[in-house]
Amino acid sequence: MSDWYSMNVVLIQTTLTTFLLALSIQVPLRFGVFSFAGVGAFGIGGYTGVIAMVHLEWTTWPSVALGTLLAGVVVFGLGLLVQRLNGLYMGMATIAFTLIISVVAVNGGDLTGGAGGLYGALGDIYTGHIVAIAAVVVAVAVWTEAKGMGRRIDTVRDDPELAGAIGIDVAKYRLASFAISGLIGGLAGAITTLLRSTITPAEVNFHLVIVALTAIVVGGARSWVGALIGAVVFVWLPTVISFVAEWEKVVYGLIVAVAAIYLPNGVLGVVKDVVHRVRTRDERARLAVLQEKG
Amino acid sequence: MVDTAVRRRTALLEVEDLAVHFGGVKAVDGITLQMRPGHIYGVLGPNGSGKSTLLGAVTRLTPLTRGRVLLEGQDYTRVPARKVHRMGIARTFQTVRLLDDRSVRDNILLGQDTLARRARRTTGARVDEVMERVGVREVAQLRPDELSYGMQRRVEFARAIIGSPRLLLLDEPTAGMNTAERAEIGTLMKQLRDEGVTQFIVEHDVQMMVDTCDHLFAMNVGRLIAQGEPLEVVRHPAVQEAYVGKGAARGA
Repeated sequence: MSDWYSMNVVLIQTTLTTFLLALSIQVPLRFGVFSFAGVGAFGIGGYTGVIAMVHLEWTTWPSVALGTLLAGVVVFGLGLLVQRLNGLYMGMATIAFTLIISVVAVNGGDLTGGAGGLYGALGDIYTGHIVAIAAVVVAVAVWTEAKGMGRRIDTVRDDPELAGAIGIDVAKYRLASFAISGLIGGLAGAITTLLRSTITPAEVNFHLVIVALTAIVVGGARSWVGALIGAVVFVWLPTVISFVAEWEKVVYGLIVAVAAIYLPNGVLGVVKDVVHRVRTRDERARLAVLQEKG
Repeated sequence: MVDTAVRRRTALLEVEDLAVHFGGVKAVDGITLQMRPGHIYGVLGPNGSGKSTLLGAVTRLTPLTRGRVLLEGQDYTRVPARKVHRMGIARTFQTVRLLDDRSVRDNILLGQDTLARRARRTTGARVDEVMERVGVREVAQLRPDELSYGMQRRVEFARAIIGSPRLLLLDEPTAGMNTAERAEIGTLMKQLRDEGVTQFIVEHDVQMMVDTCDHLFAMNVGRLIAQGEPLEVVRHPAVQEAYVGKGAARGA
């Protein structure tokens, strides 16, 4: 077990940080907000964490906290600006925000290290820390999916007019999704960066949107479990399919395409459907009788 | 002045000179009406007469061009739609609107999720009672898309009544139901009336409206053309004309 852990510690840590990144995109999607600002938050969190350690000589956890909070505040501010947008327009505006973060990083001079980025910020972070942080984030995610809160968020996403008619403040929920997305994205960015000790503008780019989206598409967009499944699949896939060598990207693309076409709710959706069908077998039989009588 | 004061004391809902215009289209144009507590009111009218728009305006989902809406004398014309639910006004929609990924039980609970904690009556027992009442308890864990349209209508009805509203607005509550189901829903409406729930119904089934309602309003092209006892309203020449046309109405 310990040998296996030592051999795979980087993959385990990357799975957890990818999971947090995927969650930062999944949370707004669950609220019906087509926002990719979580990736921009990842950049803000990463750069702020390194700047705090390198320039301000802060220790690890205050640096992580500063990166997380700043990302949350900035993305919440972005939410105030773009909250009236929907669908593709929202997607474009938030992707533009992410690209702006990258451009600012390139042109930030000594503060951001320019195109070469910043180095030498190795945080005192171990797998146990990331597991504990992920557990706290999961607890928040579970709260947003369970009972009344989960129902209200589903209504905000699926039918905003109905949400208004039953007393839900749709705008408030949408804004909250920006703040949560920013905090989680910033946390993922700060931890990832301080684990690697370095960040460059090239790492905070459109490819992160693809990574997060594909994890959600394959895993499932309606629950944190989907984001975790997606993160596990895509972080461990290269190891599992190493025998296909240069065809790896093709396999990756095929998996995403098959999931998008045949699994609209991801792997988790399939599992949930099966469980639902088994659990409601008796009810469906009673319904058939009722409808026959009717 | 005295009349107004008395009316204010007895009316649950008052609509004063209400107008909803969409550009040049006058969907509702100068409607004034009152509803007393514990009665069933219905609104009849051909397609496009403004019935559903009137319902939307009363729930504040549809912006008003002119006029006022009052609940127990309290003007709520400027109250946002999301707060109207907490005032005790619940509604169903012309097309069923349920969460397809949630169970029947969850969809019904949604109707009281936003109410103050004290207004949520022992949730578990209350939802069971409401499901029993509308006849969906047997299918509580199923998802709406596994149910017939008529059953989905019942779930929406249950969602509207679980919060014990004072005013219940029902937009075509029996659409898609068979005769027996319509009769059941009609009976349920009368039971709710006897418990003091005022209801305002938009429905195309004239016979059901006559059988169920205490008072009917008839609308045509955004205006009120008749109101009163259900049979009187149905037989009113202006109503006949609106439904079947001038010549046919005269011949009838």
